[in-house]
Amino acid sequence: MKRNNKLALVSAAVASTMLVSVACSSGGEAPSAGKQAAAPEDTSPLNLNIAITQVGDIPAKGNAVEQAIEKYTNTKLDFQWIPSSAYNDKINVMLASNEMPKLLKVNQGPTVTNAIESQLFWEIGPYLKDYKNLNAQNKQFYENIAVEGKIYGVPLYRNMGRGANVYRKDWMDNLKLAYPKTLDEWYNVLKALTLNDPDKNGKNDTYGMVLHKTYNQGSASIPTRFAVMMGGINKWGVDKDGNFTPEYMTPEFFDVLKLFRRLYAENLINQDFAVLDATEAEKMMDTGRAGMRFGVATNGKSQQDRLNKTNPNAVVDVASFEGPKGIRIASENGNNGFLVIPKSSVKTEAEMKRVLGFLDKLMDPQMSTLLLRGIEGTHFGNTADGRTEFVGDGFNIFQREVKPYRDNLTVLEGYNVKPLKDVPIGEKGTKMESDGIQYIVSNPALSLKSQTFSERGQELDQMMMDAQTKFIMGKIDEAGWQEEINKWKKAGGDKLIAEYKAAYLKMKK
Amino acid sequence: MTYDKTWSNRIFDGVNYTLLTLIGLVCIIPFIYVLAVSFTAPHIVAQGGFILYPKEISLSAYKYIFSTNTLVRSLGVSVYVTVVGTLINLVFTSLLAYPLSRPHLKGRSLMLLAVLFTMLFNGGLIPTYYVVKSLGMIDSLWSLMIPSAISAFNLIVLKNFFQQIPDGLEDSAKIDGCNDLGILFRIVIPLSLPAIATFGLFYAVDHWNKFFSAVMYINTNTKWPIQVVLREIVINASSRIGDTNIEEMNIQPLTIKMAVIVFATLPIIAVYPFLQKHFAKGVMLGSVKG
Repeated sequence: MKRNNKLALVSAAVASTMLVSVACSSGGEAPSAGKQAAAPEDTSPLNLNIAITQVGDIPAKGNAVEQAIEKYTNTKLDFQWIPSSAYNDKINVMLASNEMPKLLKVNQGPTVTNAIESQLFWEIGPYLKDYKNLNAQNKQFYENIAVEGKIYGVPLYRNMGRGANVYRKDWMDNLKLAYPKTLDEWYNVLKALTLNDPDKNGKNDTYGMVLHKTYNQGSASIPTRFAVMMGGINKWGVDKDGNFTPEYMTPEFFDVLKLFRRLYAENLINQDFAVLDATEAEKMMDTGRAGMRFGVATNGKSQQDRLNKTNPNAVVDVASFEGPKGIRIASENGNNGFLVIPKSSVKTEAEMKRVLGFLDKLMDPQMSTLLLRGIEGTHFGNTADGRTEFVGDGFNIFQREVKPYRDNLTVLEGYNVKPLKDVPIGEKGTKMESDGIQYIVSNPALSLKSQTFSERGQELDQMMMDAQTKFIMGKIDEAGWQEEINKWKKAGGDKLIAEYKAAYLKMKK
Repeated sequence: MTYDKTWSNRIFDGVNYTLLTLIGLVCIIPFIYVLAVSFTAPHIVAQGGFILYPKEISLSAYKYIFSTNTLVRSLGVSVYVTVVGTLINLVFTSLLAYPLSRPHLKGRSLMLLAVLFTMLFNGGLIPTYYVVKSLGMIDSLWSLMIPSAISAFNLIVLKNFFQQIPDGLEDSAKIDGCNDLGILFRIVIPLSLPAIATFGLFYAVDHWNKFFSAVMYINTNTKWPIQVVLREIVINASSRIGDTNIEEMNIQPLTIKMAVIVFATLPIIAVYPFLQKHFAKGVMLGSVKG
């Protein structure tokens, strides 16, 4: 009995060692096999696997759009669609296990910055000048994703000056209101839209503007956009010596907060804004209970569509953020993530250049048209005046068949593609988004590295966002606001300012 | 048994009935709402308001969700993973629970300790991913079934259940010439069917709800189970303007979301009534200490 047990134990041990060694050896073989497959042959189609975000339904493999891209760019594509709800987790696992495709879509963030700093991806900055389309884009696009001044990815270009006010023109006309430029005019307009019954239904059931609980988050922050419009800075300002100032310490920003504090005290904005969901705020605009919302210029068309479902007489218009100093738009980061080329899957410089060439070719007129308009005849047609328009149900089919690619590959509306014929408000929005780049106010700290920010940035931001809400709701006064700023500085704000300065000066050198 | 209904009795009954009816309605109305919205014409839903019955019946939402085979396919994947996965779970769990329930097994407490240890500490996301990867299960449906083949909690409860089976049974089976596997499959398992059914249900629900591991391990979208597809349609599409950096997404109208929910709930509703009686019985088993 005893001997039997011992035997069993020994054999179990032997078996487990064998298992382990088998697992190890198979693990060791994998990379060498990968090397063989990656041997570059310039004329054969490039095998390219790409990990990108899922947008809507996933197109079937080998559909017409994918085939057209493969044919034009001489590649063999293999898209890996990742659900957006788990994108960052999945990317983190991929980074940690070093199991990456040849092209990977990432978003800016501490993990990605760390991965870049540990040299997991090719630095592509020096090569960009060889690619005509990639090189033709505004340098700001690349600066926004640079890490210590070096460029590691090709952005999914998005217009940076897209921000605009989507508003009810019919309401403004009903009340004979002029579009506001100064903060006082804004106060009067928002007051009139709330109290003077702009929809003429005899009930006091409208608001000029509805705030929601994320009103001051991210690049869509309403106070920031307001302050920039009035001549302020976009999140951070910097002087010639590299001294950084956060927006909270500027008079423009504080004036905007005071405006909202007054509106709140006089019941001219919704009192529940600190807890209201953004989608609920949207719904109020959709059902004709709010007059304005800050969004992007192309929102005008979709807003008009939604409103007309319930109210065919509603008229929507879009306006740029224009203040006393002219149009000033708080710049967005100019990308919907960026594509990086991992060194573990693309081993040689030659292959890396081919991958870059692929991205460059996607911006040729033929590919731009495919990705932005679809296939001629199926989705769009050419008009007599040299524009394009969606034919029949083309737009809806486009949303299903082409948009998933458009949103994940390098294209820019307005670049190498004929303009789109649309309803007037749609055309206006598209044009405003392309033109917006002339008016952008950039955030100078966007690509600067700060230890404090990557460790505690969220927490610090949250402190000041809470303080803004408290100030608007009248829970703290001006002295209280100052105190909150001081608290923020002590909690890490001062360090942040110093680190930005150091990083800025280092980069300028 | 009869008794006179006094006024106080009647009032008591009345209050009871009203309360129970209200609670019942609270449970049922959301389902009716989901069902009604899924069958209502989209333009009526867009006007807002609460819908309890479709004012204008339209099948457009269902036509839309069946215009591609994504949902049907992912449902198939889920059913496959649930059926095969649950079988694997039950086989592996019983195979480990039975020996652990036999007091004469050497090293039993050490083994049990190892099981308990996994309940308190786990490797974490990335080490687990490495294990799955080095076993070659990435992008294979096995990755949804094998790594979670045994749940430590279920194992311990099942072990306790097996322990209640008298040793005498085992001894007499041995005298009749039965070996250990024979005892397990011919004596112990048939005697434990209610418990097995209950854990089968627990495991099945686990598999049906599998989301995160599917997103982590499965790269090919044709192998996604239904929860991943559901989440994309129902949750993601509703966060359209939280951040204007995101391009306006494909907004799924409410009717489509509701139709998807109805479609995905249907299998559970169809299966549950048949399992419910085992479930109610099985949960109680093993809860009383002898």
